[in-house]
Amino acid sequence: MTTSLAALPKGFEFPPATFTLSREWVAEYVAAAGDEAIAALGDGLVPPMALAAQAVRTLIEASPLPPGTLHAGQELSFRRAVRTGEQLTAQARIASRGERAGWVLMSVDFDVQAGGESVMSGRATVTFPAEAA
Amino acid sequence: MARHGVALSAGEALPVVAKRITQEQLQRYADASGDHNPLHLDPEFAAKTQFGGTIAHGMLVLAFVSEMLTAAFGRAWLDSGGLKIRFRGPARPGDEVEASGRVTKVEGERVTCEIECRTRVGEVLVSGEAEVTVA
Repeated sequence: MTTSLAALPKGFEFPPATFTLSREWVAEYVAAAGDEAIAALGDGLVPPMALAAQAVRTLIEASPLPPGTLHAGQELSFRRAVRTGEQLTAQARIASRGERAGWVLMSVDFDVQAGGESVMSGRATVTFPAEAA
Repeated sequence: MARHGVALSAGEALPVVAKRITQEQLQRYADASGDHNPLHLDPEFAAKTQFGGTIAHGMLVLAFVSEMLTAAFGRAWLDSGGLKIRFRGPARPGDEVEASGRVTKVEGERVTCEIECRTRVGEVLVSGEAEVTVA
């Protein structure tokens, strides 16, 4: 049973989600994004945006986005490169939620850790019609 | 301060990354990312929105910016990069887009850049700032 992101209040903490980025998934991501730069850095490195995308995916799977949700802004901070096969844990919390002119504006803070050490953190800001809430 | 052996200074342009967005790419990105928002994939749904058709995932457009920063700063981008951006407009299938940037400040090993992604006709899709530590 999942609850739509639209129904969640400010301060809601998502349950931690553990995942591993396989070599095959990273290859799929790199092909989909058309990333021609990451390969030059050597084998096994995960593109930072692949890590961010997977962290967001864990949130979407826990709490689906309302249809028509728009991505309004993004902050990201990378602390070290991540390699395929590492076990990672994403944690997230709804940092703010407001409504104006029929649209909800929501910010979600998230942190991805490996072995208890933060490797990436960020804030995603999304907006969706208030009628979806 | 150097990047790949080249001196860095305010005003220096970063290498441009150019892409052409296709609906097939949006489907592939949705499958990889798990974001199957119909705004990106369902022409019938998207036609009823303010966009009048499907648009690219914001995180896909941001991936073009990150690719540019990876090309510019190499491993340093993965180890110490950071960005703060706003999505300004939608990228649509068929659009040719360019991610670009320019160094605005160099303080010690920390480099700040303004970054953006535009369509070839000048519509701004993403704008913001990135920072990276270059040893």
